[in-house]
Amino acid sequence: MKGRLLRLLPLALLVVFASAVCVSASRAPDRLVLADAFCAPTLARPLGCGEAGVDLTSLLGHAILRGALLAVVVALVGFAIGTPLGAASAMMRGRFERAVERACDLVQAFPTFLLAFAVLSAVRAPSRLHLGVVFAITAWAPFARLALVQTRVLRDAAFVEAAYALGLGRAEVLFRHVLPNLLGVVAVQLGGTAAAIVVSEAALSFLGFGPRDGVSLGSVMDQGVASMLRAPHVLVAGSLSVFVTSASMLIAGRAAARD
Amino acid sequence: MIFRAARAVLSRVAEAAAVLLVLASLVFFAMRLLPGDPAALILGDQSEEAERALLRAKLGLDQPLWLQYAHFLRGLATLDLGESLRRPGVAAMARVGAALGPTSELAALAVLFGAILGVGAALLASGPWLGERRRVVDRVLVAVAATPLLAFAPVVTYGLAARLRVVPLPGDPDAGFAGLAFASALLGIPLAAQVGRVGRAALADVGRAQFMGVARAKGATNFRVWVVHALPPSAGPIVTVIATQLGALLGGAVVLERLFERAGLGSLMLEAYASRDLPVLEGAVVASGALFVLTQGLAALAHAAMDPRVRA
Repeated sequence: MKGRLLRLLPLALLVVFASAVCVSASRAPDRLVLADAFCAPTLARPLGCGEAGVDLTSLLGHAILRGALLAVVVALVGFAIGTPLGAASAMMRGRFERAVERACDLVQAFPTFLLAFAVLSAVRAPSRLHLGVVFAITAWAPFARLALVQTRVLRDAAFVEAAYALGLGRAEVLFRHVLPNLLGVVAVQLGGTAAAIVVSEAALSFLGFGPRDGVSLGSVMDQGVASMLRAPHVLVAGSLSVFVTSASMLIAGRAAARD
Repeated sequence: MIFRAARAVLSRVAEAAAVLLVLASLVFFAMRLLPGDPAALILGDQSEEAERALLRAKLGLDQPLWLQYAHFLRGLATLDLGESLRRPGVAAMARVGAALGPTSELAALAVLFGAILGVGAALLASGPWLGERRRVVDRVLVAVAATPLLAFAPVVTYGLAARLRVVPLPGDPDAGFAGLAFASALLGIPLAAQVGRVGRAALADVGRAQFMGVARAKGATNFRVWVVHALPPSAGPIVTVIATQLGALLGGAVVLERLFERAGLGSLMLEAYASRDLPVLEGAVVASGALFVLTQGLAALAHAAMDPRVRA
């Protein structure tokens, strides 16, 4: 148990660090000092500066915090929608069960990147809310599938039959007996989903589909690639941030694993 | 038996068609629901109203939405979406067709790299060649699988292209095959990690089978035991994992095309989006979807051809 909770530590440290950067108001990511454009790291600016003299420490702190928040919220929304849906469909059996399974097939067989592209072309400058909605369209499917498969095992278990024999309705059995037994198994999926969303958000904003304010890991990568030869520290800092954020999500997700 | 096979094929084709139709409809309606006049966006704010009306009529934007949609679907079916707006006189589908080649090359080579590298790693991690050091291969596979393409591709490019100068710099027009090979190797690495992990698990399963003992008892070499006897029955999960990674591969291809400033479907989509070239954007999105669906179908066929249990 203790070892498992320890897995939340990297994510917690990352969030604490990013929040600390965000509250130190002197380093707002919209404060530009043109004379310092692409300056190398110094003691006062530990990660140096990016385009137009933006302080990289501050920019990355804000970008990590917002990206991580988006990923966690969307993953939790997918979890909250997918788990009851999958479990309910397996409890109902028959046509509803098959329909949900087909829907999961279809969503999981979908090239998510193209989906995001097609939907985002409806807005001229996608905001973080738009990105979240696009990710939520597909995020529920893995949770629903896992819950469905797990419920198929549970629905014939003795304790479920006993609950029916005591006169409980299907909904009560679902919420009081089946769902509590699923949550642990399904929650393992949270970390992977959140990490995938961090990376997708970065990739989309790298391609120019990010929030206008440019406070996103992908925008930092974009600056870094453009100034690769002049100021490689921007690229290195951006890449490390993407890696650390995604990896800490993956590790935190393992906290729910039973091993 | 034949009926069942025909039904299986039909349901796959229907699913593929459904994915393409959803994708095409999404991009169609997304472009039309966008607030603002597309004609004004394309021609600029300074344009004359008469000019805009002319363009709207040419694009069919003055017709009711359902009629536009019907025209669009007919255009898709006949592969004729009209002319590109950015390059008048060039058919949109011709531009899409020209971009399809480079992206297919990049993706195909990446799958090849990923499969060879991944299967090699799985064999090394399962077979007896490395002894206790096999665990290192396992750890490397986990670490690579957890590293997003976006995090390592630009840094590796900086190191190899800008510092060591062993591969062409991004945007080098004379990059040629070396540029293609480097880009597809980068794209193939995350795939290799997934293939390696799944292949490792599949080989571990097969390794416990009786026929492996028989093969060893017959005095077969390690190479023969693992490559000739163990690998073919493990091919199913490996092909399946490649099929499930195709979506990620396609997304990765767009990122790499942007990174290396290579021509291809991804660059075409980004350009068409920026310049609101509706026919090209629609064609490029649908073509990418078709490429994805087609390769997924091929993977299913390959799986069935290799594993008689799936054929039924």
